[in-house]
Amino acid sequence: MTTTTAPRAAARVAGAVKVYGGGDTAVHALDGVDVAFPAGRFTAIMGPSGSGKSTLMHCAAGLDTLTSGAVWIGETELGALDDRRLTLLRRDRVGFVFQAFNLVPTLTVAENITLPLDLAGRRGDQEWIDTLVDVVGLRDRLHHRPAELSGGQQQRVAVARAFAGRPDVVFADEPTGNLDSRSGAEVLGLLGRAVRQMDRTVVMVTHDPVAAAHADEVLFLADGRLVDRMESPTADRVLDRMKAFEVRT
Amino acid sequence: MNASLRIGLTSLRAHRRRFAGTFLAVFLGVAFLTGTLVMGDTLRASFASMFGEATSGTDAVVRGADAITTPGEAQGVRRPVDLSLLKTIERVPGVAFAAPDIQGAGQLVGSDGRPVGGQGPPTLAGNWITDPRLNPYRLAEGRAPARPGEVVVNRGAAKKGGLRIGDTTTLRTPDPVKDTVVGLATFGDQDGMAQVTFTGMTRADAEKYLTARPGQASSVVVRAGPGVNQQDLVRRLTPVLPKGVEAVTGRQSAQEDTDMISSQFLTLFTTFLLVFSGVALLVATFSIHNTFAIVVAQRTRDNALLRALGAARGQVTAAALAEACLVALTASLTGLAGGIGIAAGLQALFPAIGFPFPEGDLVIKTLSLVLPLAVGIAVCLGSALLPARRAGRTAPLAALRETAVDTSGGSRARALAGIALGALALAATLAGVFVTPSVWLAGLGALLALAAFVVLGPVAATAAVRLLGGPLGRLRGVTGSLARRNALRSPKRTAATASALMIGVAVVSLFTVFGASLKATMDRTVSRSFAGDVAVSSPSFGAGGSGLSPRLAPALQRLPQVDTAVGLGRGVAEVDGSGRALTVTDPVALARTFDLGTVTGSLRGLGDDGIALTRAEADRRHLRTGDTARLTFTDGKSERFTVRAVYGSSELVGDYVITRAAWAPHRTQDADTMIAVTFRRGVNADAGKAAVRTVAARYGNPEVQTRDEYAQSSAGGIDMMLTLVYALLALAVVIALLGIANTLTLALHERTRELGLLRAVGQTRAQLRAMVRWESVLVAAFGTVGGLGLGTFLGWVLVKASDGASDTAFAFALPPVRLAAVALVGLTAGALAGLRPARRAARLDVLRAIAME
Repeated sequence: MTTTTAPRAAARVAGAVKVYGGGDTAVHALDGVDVAFPAGRFTAIMGPSGSGKSTLMHCAAGLDTLTSGAVWIGETELGALDDRRLTLLRRDRVGFVFQAFNLVPTLTVAENITLPLDLAGRRGDQEWIDTLVDVVGLRDRLHHRPAELSGGQQQRVAVARAFAGRPDVVFADEPTGNLDSRSGAEVLGLLGRAVRQMDRTVVMVTHDPVAAAHADEVLFLADGRLVDRMESPTADRVLDRMKAFEVRT
Repeated sequence: MNASLRIGLTSLRAHRRRFAGTFLAVFLGVAFLTGTLVMGDTLRASFASMFGEATSGTDAVVRGADAITTPGEAQGVRRPVDLSLLKTIERVPGVAFAAPDIQGAGQLVGSDGRPVGGQGPPTLAGNWITDPRLNPYRLAEGRAPARPGEVVVNRGAAKKGGLRIGDTTTLRTPDPVKDTVVGLATFGDQDGMAQVTFTGMTRADAEKYLTARPGQASSVVVRAGPGVNQQDLVRRLTPVLPKGVEAVTGRQSAQEDTDMISSQFLTLFTTFLLVFSGVALLVATFSIHNTFAIVVAQRTRDNALLRALGAARGQVTAAALAEACLVALTASLTGLAGGIGIAAGLQALFPAIGFPFPEGDLVIKTLSLVLPLAVGIAVCLGSALLPARRAGRTAPLAALRETAVDTSGGSRARALAGIALGALALAATLAGVFVTPSVWLAGLGALLALAAFVVLGPVAATAAVRLLGGPLGRLRGVTGSLARRNALRSPKRTAATASALMIGVAVVSLFTVFGASLKATMDRTVSRSFAGDVAVSSPSFGAGGSGLSPRLAPALQRLPQVDTAVGLGRGVAEVDGSGRALTVTDPVALARTFDLGTVTGSLRGLGDDGIALTRAEADRRHLRTGDTARLTFTDGKSERFTVRAVYGSSELVGDYVITRAAWAPHRTQDADTMIAVTFRRGVNADAGKAAVRTVAARYGNPEVQTRDEYAQSSAGGIDMMLTLVYALLALAVVIALLGIANTLTLALHERTRELGLLRAVGQTRAQLRAMVRWESVLVAAFGTVGGLGLGTFLGWVLVKASDGASDTAFAFALPPVRLAAVALVGLTAGALAGLRPARRAARLDVLRAIAME
């Protein structure tokens, strides 16, 4: 088992293998990945399409199960959990920001933000939620429906929801994929602030070097394996690294 | 193949599951309709062949020419034939054999002391006709009656009463007659003529017990000699018959009997079932329309693509209709097969539950196939028409739009149209109830009210679901409020889904309210007009039973506990040309045991040439005390009677009262329908009742009931009817629930991604299932509440309209417990309807759901 030198891992995977299909048509989406996502850090996962980056995130977040290997959220090993416990774990200890359709259309902005807390029947920390609402800048939109918001605003609501229950880790799957660059920058800025000013943990899958540049560290995946990592990335360096993949493949 | 047809076919194949609900709805409706028609025809044919076969040896029937028919009765009372005529008939050339047919009411008492039959079909007794070819009954076991007190019983009745050859039993004619069973008979080769019981006795016994005076018969049956056909025989008989007596062919007589059964029982039975299959199909229409509307909405992208690729509007519409047509055709055809299966199943089932269903092949007429098929296809295509047109109108660029929250449906035009319809409905109803009492006008109002409810549904859905679901959010947290908002997503869809259930529940509530009102009416009638302490009656329903012995009332009168015991007999006569039922009784005693309202004139001096009648009847006929009316009796005699008294209330007592003395010369088989008894002052009610019961036991053991018991048993038939109605309406409710389940499944399909999101952020499977179930319950609650409201209103209309249109003062009653039960059933059913969609939704794979395009 390999662990990084970081003080504490918010989530980690060990020997992660994910095979789709069987026999001749078997595809190894993950082919033995060991990685830890340190608490209080913003980690980006990059890689060309088909590299397994989304699969890695889904498995690490308890949305999907590994063929072999193990996943921990904090100190909890997910392999031992049934669907119900897995759901409760996602609800209480993990936050999500998806690329699109992040919000329940029948609920207001405020209700969408507290949805995981409401599902748990918890009141939540009102002060914290107020802070989040102000940070994402949606105080005047709290009683609107998602359909009345722009795409960028919707993603900001999703960010607020992801952090509302102070989860161990927030997973973001191409959170800016559907946004224009200005709105995208706003959302990425929010994720960065959450990590640096509020001591949260974020793991983000992206294929956009500019987005990846907001992270503290970038992990590069190719063919289901972890092939490289980069501390303090910049968009140019990430782009260069990605170009190297294209040349190779 | 035509492009539209091909597109329709392929999309049907791809989305088979979506049409499962539609298929089932059409299938059930068509099967019910086919089953009813086939069963009706089969029963009719079997009865006809049964009668034809059983009476095939009878070539002519000599009987009274005129029948007196009172309103509400199918078969009139004929004048008896004098038996001196028998000799004359026997001498007519071509007559091989003639036998008197003496028929009357006679109810057997079974080995357990309880009467056999009497709840519906007639309980008959007659002379055992010795000529086997003239007797419709055949001796199956034992021998024919030869000595007084010996009887033959039809095998069905014997089985039901646990009677065997050699057993001794009592026959109520209504005077109890001790009999010994010496033989068992079949009707044709059946155990009986349907449920009718028959007891055959010697001719002397029959004359003694079944006719008012010996020497009379109901008719004379005649068999022709060789070479004489039925018409010839009638032609030869006619000249020798006195005035007022006629001869008809055996075939005609059998035909009349079959027609009588058809009109009295079968037509009623099939009409009743047809009404309910109509309700089921109406409910199905809503479910089907809804399914098509949703499917078309979900296929907006496909249709837009087709349009973009150059498909004309008409082609897209045609494709959608082709799809509907295919569903309609397969479902209707399967329904036809199902219906025939139902009829065959019932044919097999009926004998098992003791109802002899005549054997023979199922009669499947062309109409029984064409009509359900046409109705099934019409319902299906009609429901699909609007959605199909909407599909055709899809704009080519309507494609990439996300299905969001559609709150349309509450449009102003719709609200206005609905309110206008509602106002019209109210006006028609109120006019039909209060201004010119008419059931038809009120019925029109009821239909308009139904239409108004359907039109206003989407407008009301939002408010109603918000209101009904209000407590849900507080009680069930976010799961509840999600369910409530999902139900509010498309008010139009919610309303259409709920409408189906609403109609079902409305009809259920209508019958429930009407039934309760009828019971209340009877209860009030009894408590208002019955002033006696106990009532003696033989509980019977329909044409069954034989009434009470006329000697019972005098016997009770002799009891020391009894102040007055008055028997009410029944007679018929034509009053100034139209048939009327008469109450034959002691008018003075009658006034002591019944509240007759305000009496003008005097009941004391009716004598043998006076009558008393109700005020309503007197007004209709413009008769006043002192006027005379001509009464023609079944013996053909006609006499003038003077109106000596006019009384207020008619319930229980009837419209006309005459004395026993006046009736005696014209009487037929004597029987009292009930005896009212009042006790002397100071007599304990239980002791009095026990004394009456002891005496009654010697007269065939009729029921002795206190006033309350009497009121309740009068209403017993209503409960039986209601149970049947509920059973039949269950089908409509099942179809409505299939509709809810189907709509829900389709809606969940639309929301797959949202469900995935909910699951991802921590909604447990149990929470998701609860959310779907509650949505289903909410939709059902909307339909149930609407249906209860509408049904109660319609019940009120029906009661009030009947009240205005008849002499009986109807009471309106709301049965809270029953209505609450209806509501509970509606809600529970809603939860059940949500079970399967909820389970399926909970099985969703989270990742795939989120990734779904």
